[in-house]
This record gives sequence, structure tokens and C-alpha cells, in this order.
Amino acid sequence: MPLFVAGLSHKNAGVELREQLAVEEDKLREVLADLQAAAVLREVVVVSTCNRVEVYGVAEAPGEARALVFRHLCRQRGVDLAQVEGALYTHLDGDAVRHAFRVAASLDSMMIGEPQILGQVKDAFALAQACETVGPQLHSLFSQAFNVAKRVRTETEIARHAVSVSFAAVELAKKIFAGLSGRAVLLVGAGKMSELAAKHLVEQGAFPIYVANRTWSRAQDLARALSGTPVQWEELETALASVDIVVTSTGATQPVITRPTVERIMHGRRGRPLFFIDIAVPRDVEPGVDRLDDVYRYDIDDLKQVVDSNLRERAREAQRAEALVEREVGKFLLRQGDVEVIPTIVSLRARLEEIRLAEVKRTLGRLPDASPEQRAAIEAMSTAIINKILHAPITKLRESSRAGASRSLLELVHELFGLGRRG
Amino acid sequence: MHGNLINAAVIGYVVATGLALAYLVQRQDLVHRLAVLATLAGWAAHSVVLIARAIELGAPPLGSLPDAISVAVWVIVLVEVLIERRTGLRVLGAFVLPIVVVLSLKAATPRAVTLAPALASVWIWIHIALALIGIAAFVFNFAGALMYLLQEHQLKAKRPGAFYYRLPALETLDHLTFRTLALGFPFLTTGLVLGALWARTAWGSPFTFDPLAFLSFLAWLIYAGTLAGRAAGGWHGRRAAYCSIIGFAMLVLTLGAGLFLPGRHGS
Repeated sequence: MPLFVAGLSHKNAGVELREQLAVEEDKLREVLADLQAAAVLREVVVVSTCNRVEVYGVAEAPGEARALVFRHLCRQRGVDLAQVEGALYTHLDGDAVRHAFRVAASLDSMMIGEPQILGQVKDAFALAQACETVGPQLHSLFSQAFNVAKRVRTETEIARHAVSVSFAAVELAKKIFAGLSGRAVLLVGAGKMSELAAKHLVEQGAFPIYVANRTWSRAQDLARALSGTPVQWEELETALASVDIVVTSTGATQPVITRPTVERIMHGRRGRPLFFIDIAVPRDVEPGVDRLDDVYRYDIDDLKQVVDSNLRERAREAQRAEALVEREVGKFLLRQGDVEVIPTIVSLRARLEEIRLAEVKRTLGRLPDASPEQRAAIEAMSTAIINKILHAPITKLRESSRAGASRSLLELVHELFGLGRRG
Repeated sequence: MHGNLINAAVIGYVVATGLALAYLVQRQDLVHRLAVLATLAGWAAHSVVLIARAIELGAPPLGSLPDAISVAVWVIVLVEVLIERRTGLRVLGAFVLPIVVVLSLKAATPRAVTLAPALASVWIWIHIALALIGIAAFVFNFAGALMYLLQEHQLKAKRPGAFYYRLPALETLDHLTFRTLALGFPFLTTGLVLGALWARTAWGSPFTFDPLAFLSFLAWLIYAGTLAGRAAGGWHGRRAAYCSIIGFAMLVLTLGAGLFLPGRHGS
């Protein structure tokens, strides 16, 4: 039975429309129950996130089902249906499968490769299962979509590289140090972004954390928030000498960490690298320290550049992911297609065999003197005729099902040969 | 059959090198798997060649420099695959296999079946074996140093490119170069000392002029200096990496001298 997906997403609908139409979970239960009661959809899953509202359904008449669903959603959310209709897209069968795979694999996301969407789709699927609106078709579609998403995540690097400045800084630290656990971090100044970077570093095992600030109370506050130790402003150089990573974000107009200072402290470090993450504007660390061995300094522009390059890397990986999805769609349709046409082929064969047997019996009844050889010849000939007749239609049915377009053909076959209703 | 297998081994290594370099750019699992397969195929053919050669000689195939290099290549390939497996450092092949190809091309030349008369003592075999292990370790030392310099350059330039994404952390690479140096150095040292002792027994003086012996002594000096600098002077990172590269260049010259210049190690 036809599979379809209809909905709107960040690609074609503004945030205003999306947030109006988005449905929270308890409302979603009602919607699913109502849709099931309407009996137009055989199966249905509704995915509703801040970036997309989509209905995956199985229905005899997808157009009608889609209209029903969105009429219902609009009424529930008090949105003008005409406004929604304009933004809706619909994909059928093979295209719907592709869409489901791409969404789950985060290829259709606003930020390609972001990890939340898979969880959101899984939740939507689980909810529909709980509401008993999932049947065999959506079940196999979504299980396969989750598999594909997992493969995309592990086999490509689509989600590997940081796309935020603070995560990019953490990633850089990991390219300098072999693992961050036990690395000492010094925060100089107290900006929101440096706090965020420090949190990410702590999550990776960085320890201990020191906080230096011109205002002692501010240093104490932030140190408490990060389970770190406050450091007197006058002790800055001593602290610098002992840590591995320094995050700076003061409001100072002049660099607070100068090249002579860093040169001095590097002497005592015996080659232990020192990594400056300078988020302040104007910058806190003198750019001249770049020329010192084992000193790595990234200011906000450098970090942005790293993020840009990570994004390009993601885009490259996304192309590989698309190819992977395409192969999986093909395989899915192949399996699905065979499943779809086999019952028809079986009943078509049975129907013709029934006719053949009846006709052979009649003919042989009129030829009582026929020798066993002659009888065998008649049997063989009639079987051969049936096989010859069936060959082309069966081939055609399989081909079309693999192309995801067997529905009309199947209906035609049922109609022409009087095979009865299909399930 | 022998010649065909040598060619098969070399072709295997060449294909593996191409695939390993492609993996550096492409980063596809399949490419890496094929590279490992090609490496193992080359290595398997190589193993058969070495066994055949040992049977042919009636002794370990270490008696001439090309033979010995061939054994060294065999060890290097094995260790390369093992390190990749154990540490997940999948880009290592791209740095080690090109060296393997160059060495194995030279090792694949046909050579005499007779042993040099000097090769009568068990000490000389130990001399050769130890020196080979040292050289194998220094191949990885060189690869580590090269990777360190590439990664360091990327980090300093602040423009992440292919190497930034593919290579591990600087610290990891620095450890790799240090450990391979610390491992290779005692073997090289003992190998050289045994060679000198043998030279005294055989030719009366430990320091008779032989191009290979002379150049390998220079390489030893460079490595000794690097190791001392690391242990006592806190050398590390870029400086140590440059030293490793110069040391390895000297080793390559050493082997080249052994292969192309007349001398006691000549083939």
C-alpha cells in the first residue's frame, strides 16, 4: 500500500509557521488517536520538532490522507490551512523512503550532522508505537532509517568535527595533547564563552581549573561554578607556568599576557606545550607568542576559521553520506518491492494454473484414447503456454516494484485477472 | 617462480602504498581495508620469497646487504600492520609504505647465491640482525617525526587541512618518535660495536675504512646526540623531529653506500 510523507521543514517554511504547527507530546497522542479513528490512514507516525512537522503515513489514497492530517493539525493548532498548504511537500513511496532516511541521518537538518534529530525521530516513532498507529510498513521503514542513520554516523565523519567556536577549541586541544584528562586549565577573565569552553574542557577530563580575575570576588564566583581554584591577579604568571591550557576573555584594552612573559615561563616547562585560547576582543595574548616553540595561540578569528574548515569537511562527508543513503534506499525498495509483488505473482500463477488444470481435464475427457505420451504432451504444452504468458508480466512487475512504482500495475493485474482485493 | 614472487611482493607493496596515500586524502574505510589487504598480500609473497631464499642459501637470508634489507622490509611491514591494528593509527601506512617500496625495489634485484667468506662467525649474524632491528625502528622514528612536523605546521599555521584532521595529537607523535628512538638506538649501538669487534678480528683493526661503516657511525652520532638531548637537555618536538629526519637521511645514505660503493658490505 502507498507510503507517503507530507510536511514542512526549515527548508521551505519560516520559523513562525513551524512553531505554530509544532505539536507537543501529549497533544500528539490525541492527534494520533484522532487520525486512527478517521480510518483513512492505515499507519501513521508524526514527527514534530522545532525544525520540521512531518507525517509519515500508509494509506490507500495518500492525497486524501494528507489533506485530512493537515486539516486536523491546523484546526488543533488554530493555524490557517491555506498558509500551511503552500509550504507543504509530499513524497511518495521511493521518495518517501529516501526522505525518511535523510532526515534520520541528519542530512536534511539545518545544521547537517547535528545529533538531536535521530533521537527526535526515535521518540516520534516510539510514541506512535505506544499509540498503536505503527504497522509493518512504517515499522520496517523506521527500523531501517535508524540503521542507516547509525551507519552514516559511524562510516562518515559528518558529525565528527566541531561547528561551534568553543568545541573547536576543545578539538584543537586534543590535537596538541594526547587526551585532556588531568590537563590543568587557567581561565583569565570571565566571559560567557570562556566559561563554556572551560566546561567543555572539564567534560573531557581537564583538571584542575584555575580562575584569575582582576576582581577577586568574580574569580571566586566563577571558580566555585567550575569547581576550580581562584588565583590572585598578581599570581597570574606563576599560574601560567603550571597549566597546559589558558582561556582568556578579559575586557582589557592591552594584552594581559605578553611575549616576554610567555618566553620566561616556557623555559621552565621542559617542552610541555602551552595552548592559548584567546576569546577576548581586543585580544589578551600578544600574537607574537606564535613564534615561540610549543606555544599555540588561537584567537577568535582563528577559531572561526577552524570552524569554517570543519564545516567544509562536513559538507564533503555529507556527499559520501548521501551516496550511502542512496544505496540503502535502493536496497530497501528492492526488498520491499519483492515483498509487495510476490503475493500477486503467486495468486496470478494459481489463477492460471486453475484454468489450465480445468481445461486439460476437459480436453483429456474428450480424448479417452490418448496414449500416456500424448497426455503428457498436452500437460507439457499447456504448462509451457502459461509460463510463456506469465514471463513478461512477472518480469515487468518485479522491475516496476524495484523502481518503486508497482502500485498501479499491481492493481491492473488484480483487476484484469479478477484476483480479488489486495491487502 | 622466485622472481615472480618477488615481483608479486613489490607490486603488493606498491599497490598498498597507493591505497594508503589515497586513504590519507579520501578517508574511506574501504580504501584502508584494501590497503591492508594489499600490504598483507605483498607480505605473504615476501615471506615465501625469504623462505625460498633461506633454503637456497642454506642459511638465514642475511648474508648480503640486499638480502638483509629484504628481511628488514619484511619486519617493517609486519610491525607497521601491528602498530596500525593496536593503536588505530591508520595513516601510518601512508608514511611507512613509501619507504618500504623504495627499499624493496632495491632488495628485489637478483644476487649471488654464495655467502661472503667473512660471514663465518655467529657474531656476524647477530651484528646484522641487531642492525636490522635498529634500522626498522628508525623507519618508524622517521615516520613519526615527519607526521609531527606536518601536524605542528598545521597547528601553527592555524589553517586546518587534510593532515590536521588525519594525524593524531602532537604529544602522541612526539612519544612515538621518542620511543622508537629509545628502542632503535641500543640495537644500532650493539650492532655497530659487534661489527667493529668483528672487523678487528677479521681485518686487524676496528676502524679500517668502509663507506657503510663510516656513514653508519655518523648516523649513530646523530641519533646518540638526539637521545642525549632528549634525555638530558629536554629536547623534544620540532628539534627532536628534525634530528630524527637528519639521522634517517644518514641511514639511507649508509644503505645506499653499502649497495652502490665497493666495501666490505658490498653485495
